[in-house]
Amino acid sequence: MEHVLLIRYDEIHLKGLNRPFFERKLINSIKCALSGLDADVKKEQGRIYVYGVSEENTEEAVDRLTRVFGIHSISPAVGVDKDWPTIVSAAKDIMERAAANSKKATFKCFCRRSDKGFFMNSEQINRELGHEMLEAFPQLSVDIREPDIKLCVEIREMAFIYAEEIMGAGGMPTGTAGLATLLISGGIDSPVAGYMMARRGLELTAVHFYSYPYTSERARDKVVELARIVSKYAGHIKLHLVPFTEIQLAIYEKCPPKETTVLMRRLMMKIAEKWAEKDGSRALITGEALGQVASQTLESLCVTNDAVSMPVFRPLIGFDKNDIVAIAKKINTFETSILPYEDCCTVFVPQHPVTKPELAKLRESEAMVDFSEMIEKAMEDTETLDIA
Amino acid sequence: MIYLDNSATTRTLDAAAEAAAKYMRQDFFNPSAAYSPAVEAERAVNAARSRLASMIHAAPEEIIYTSGGTESNNTAIFGALKARRGTGRIIVGATEHPSVYSAIMTLKGPYNVTEARVDSTGTQDVNSLMSALSNDVAFVSIMHVNNETGAINDIPSIYKAVKQRAPGAIMHVDGVQGFLKVPFDARYCDMYSISGHKFHAPKGVGALYIKRGVRFAGGQIGGGQERNLRSGTTNTPGIMGMEAAIEYYQANLDEIRRKLMQMKLRLAKNLSFIRDAYINGPEPSLGAPHILNVSFLGVRGEVLLHALEEKGIYVSTGSACSAHKKGKNRILNAMGVVGNRQEGAIRFSICPFNTEDEMDITADVIEEQLAFLRRFKRR
Repeated sequence: MEHVLLIRYDEIHLKGLNRPFFERKLINSIKCALSGLDADVKKEQGRIYVYGVSEENTEEAVDRLTRVFGIHSISPAVGVDKDWPTIVSAAKDIMERAAANSKKATFKCFCRRSDKGFFMNSEQINRELGHEMLEAFPQLSVDIREPDIKLCVEIREMAFIYAEEIMGAGGMPTGTAGLATLLISGGIDSPVAGYMMARRGLELTAVHFYSYPYTSERARDKVVELARIVSKYAGHIKLHLVPFTEIQLAIYEKCPPKETTVLMRRLMMKIAEKWAEKDGSRALITGEALGQVASQTLESLCVTNDAVSMPVFRPLIGFDKNDIVAIAKKINTFETSILPYEDCCTVFVPQHPVTKPELAKLRESEAMVDFSEMIEKAMEDTETLDIA
Repeated sequence: MIYLDNSATTRTLDAAAEAAAKYMRQDFFNPSAAYSPAVEAERAVNAARSRLASMIHAAPEEIIYTSGGTESNNTAIFGALKARRGTGRIIVGATEHPSVYSAIMTLKGPYNVTEARVDSTGTQDVNSLMSALSNDVAFVSIMHVNNETGAINDIPSIYKAVKQRAPGAIMHVDGVQGFLKVPFDARYCDMYSISGHKFHAPKGVGALYIKRGVRFAGGQIGGGQERNLRSGTTNTPGIMGMEAAIEYYQANLDEIRRKLMQMKLRLAKNLSFIRDAYINGPEPSLGAPHILNVSFLGVRGEVLLHALEEKGIYVSTGSACSAHKKGKNRILNAMGVVGNRQEGAIRFSICPFNTEDEMDITADVIEEQLAFLRRFKRR
């Protein structure tokens, strides 16, 4: 008997000739995720099988797999010889565990027979196995429409038996969509935005702006920690920490007070784009949600967008704050995000920021100061960390 | 480096670190064991206990060792009320440390809790406290020295009033900031808390004075150490480290107090030349000799803190324990120090190893930083 993890994948099925590319990437992610657990990963007939993970490591392996993008679901199964008494006894073991906590439960058997040489067909297997279960477990009854327990048997090169299906993270395998650069603050939204885009197969680099002494070293540690949590899903992240104080103070002193926030966003976008180009990344990602704050009105977004030529992905644009918080909680960034260290976006917030900035006017305000040298300097003084 | 955050913690004295190391590496025996090296260790701990007791005019058997200020404060409150049973009223100073204040707030419900007001200098308003006293008061907790302002409370008067108007009440004094810095006599309280790392002993050791005759149910339960009032293997390295620190203070007590006050007054004077700087708390010469709280208008305390940090000067905004909590400062609120004045508050806390020069440099650097930072206040 062998412990096996059956992995089903998602949208890759829709791919045509590119499918092997996506499968290779997925297998790669799975191998990375399971490193240290002696996993032997094999692809067979639209499925991925993981052999070699011991029973006591199974829970850990499944937990790690739920963070791998491209996986639809995972079933911890046992693989046994295609010998009927062996199959029945393994099925009883599994049913025993599945029905352990219930006095009464319904079940159905669900068989798939790829090996047409097996002496019973699927119908017969379902019927016979159901009979065996009813004999062995008096608390069970059959319900083929909405069973509590779905006992699955797959007759392939071995017989695989399982009763559990754990949902995966969905999405596309990491690295299948290319590389993009996330603007990460210390807040709730940006890590979620990074997660959402990584889920669509992007690899990430990230840019963070800090304003010492207006922000503290703990604010920096917090961002590093957030990037680390996102990297559990998105894989390796190159994080650029950009000193932003000088630029912020220049905006403060020389530009109209109402416009400081939008101007600051424009300059952040410009610097992020420069890093993106250096990293070989092809898009920017932000955590903006329409209307959430003054700098995220449609007018403000237009002005911010104008600062760069790369596409800007805003996966949260149509989300309510509550929706975003729910995802942040799910991916475990929430607790870190709400640590109360000020980030540089909130240091110099004007009392009445402009909510409907005009592009022409903002361009004019920006031109009041020559930022090019300051941007160069900020790029030079950037500290880059590898987060894995 | 100029370290002016000694009310958060202090650098461990070399002699204290050496004493602790000796009791970790050589004389590591459990004082509760039966063989002779263990008995030696027990004797050493008891000698330390005697010296500590003598510093507050108490008897050695009135002292139990703990893990520090928070445990001492918590155990004093819960241990005394558990032994006393019943209900009643608790009076707590409005500016107490969270290890007293928050602990007492958990008792709301079974007990009525009354907050005793402080005046605008952060000093306990004795009249307001007196009027709150009555027969049904079970417990009173008032700190000796406030950790944020250095305000000294008139503990003897308060104790006399408590014993007169609420004879059944137990009065606890949080001595964490005051011990050794400001003279204290245990006659004027029923319980008194001490924390080692505030006076150059290692972290993780403290003590609680419990007056003979005061009923006390004890803290941790187990092997029966500390007269069965606080079980747990005796922390000999911590206790002997603290002993070395107390010995140092004892040998130089008057000189240390004089030197601290001299430095504090110098810093206060230097800062008085800065525009829009205001002292929070008592007039400097009337407060504890080691704590000075000053508001610099037009800059947030946190920003000034980081700017000073870049110049190698370490201070705090509020107490370090509350630096992580967002929102208003409870202590300054209670004194009526609010708005800009609260936002710009910085606490300087000095130790005998600071120098007068450092007081001058600090004031100079602050002045220079303020000139820059005040240009960029929030609009």
